[in-house]
Amino acid sequence: MSKLSSINNTFESYQQLVSFYEANKKKIFEDVHIQLWSFFAANMSAALGAILDKFMSNLNDIHFDHISPQIETILLKNDFLTFYGKDRAVDTNNTTIKYQKLKPTDGKYFKNYVIEELMEGHIADLPKMSSGAKEKIVEAIYEIFVNAQMHSETMQIYTCGQFFPSKNKIEFTIVDIGIGFKEKINQRFNSKLSSIQAIEWAVQDKKTTKEGVSGGIGLAVLKEFVGMNKGKMQIISYDGFYQYDNNGEVSKNFIGQFPGTIVNLQFRTDDNNNYLLKSEIDINDIF
Amino acid sequence: MENVTINIVNTIGDVYGVEAEDGQKVFDLIIKAFQDGKKGILSFQNIEMLTTAFLNTAVGQLYNDYSEDFIKENLTVSEISESGKIALKRVVDTAKLYYKDPEALKRSIDEISGE
Repeated sequence: MSKLSSINNTFESYQQLVSFYEANKKKIFEDVHIQLWSFFAANMSAALGAILDKFMSNLNDIHFDHISPQIETILLKNDFLTFYGKDRAVDTNNTTIKYQKLKPTDGKYFKNYVIEELMEGHIADLPKMSSGAKEKIVEAIYEIFVNAQMHSETMQIYTCGQFFPSKNKIEFTIVDIGIGFKEKINQRFNSKLSSIQAIEWAVQDKKTTKEGVSGGIGLAVLKEFVGMNKGKMQIISYDGFYQYDNNGEVSKNFIGQFPGTIVNLQFRTDDNNNYLLKSEIDINDIF
Repeated sequence: MENVTINIVNTIGDVYGVEAEDGQKVFDLIIKAFQDGKKGILSFQNIEMLTTAFLNTAVGQLYNDYSEDFIKENLTVSEISESGKIALKRVVDTAKLYYKDPEALKRSIDEISGE
């Protein structure tokens, strides 16, 4: 029996998910039992969905033995539980960003999802936000999606989010079940970096594993924007946890491993910075 | 030398230039123009969103095949947004450094490893 309790976006919450995965990962043709107690941040559906899919790929049966009523309400609204045999509920408050499972080739579909779920469907929730900040958020989310597409070698990408109108913030999570930062970098450079070292290297500007193509800007741009927006970014990749926010960077190791990578982004929606200020770059002097 | 306009929206069939795969389509057309001895004008008209991943493949990797002077001479950009201009400049500057010293990445890994 695995009990997940008060799951939000803390290191301890991710550790609970990692431990849940570790406790059940060797099961084949068995039953996996899960209980969700007290609180479950809706955007963490993406991480839980990825873990449960790993179990289901071993033909295990998933049993939700307990879901606290308020958790069930939110996980029905964001469609998560409809993947596990429950009926969909209408989100009258319109604060959820639906749980989605996408193939890496579903880029065009992801675009519609982002526009509908994140922007057009939530114009009323973003009154204090400048159009530049909105654009930067979509851009940031895309950079992460494209990173998962290009680098992770995943079969599926899981996304989910949540608006918190009273706290002026939005959380958005993208998860893959691919090879992770450590493996990708160590394969490319024949190195032996730890997960934390690999993540810390990758978030630096101009650091890429692509061969023959320059890059490595996406995560650096995201990090800069998170800093200006006073948001937060978290990267969980196998046994490594990395967090960047106004208080700086924190890295820790999990006991056990997540079977892929979670990128969790938190943005402030009361950001009225004008990110579209005219640049001083001369169009004739780009190359 | 004749100029040829490469319309990105038409090339990728989308106003979002976000996926690396789509960037490759633009790159292939730029190369084609160069190989035919033509100057390319890269039109970003109606493009609403760009990622650095798209720009890396569309433009950044040109610096692997052509010199900075050649690209400066043979490629121009039109109708790009302010944010697009910033992203493209960053991609170009990164590409110049990358192709000048491809081993720099490996060295940065070795530094972490303490080798």
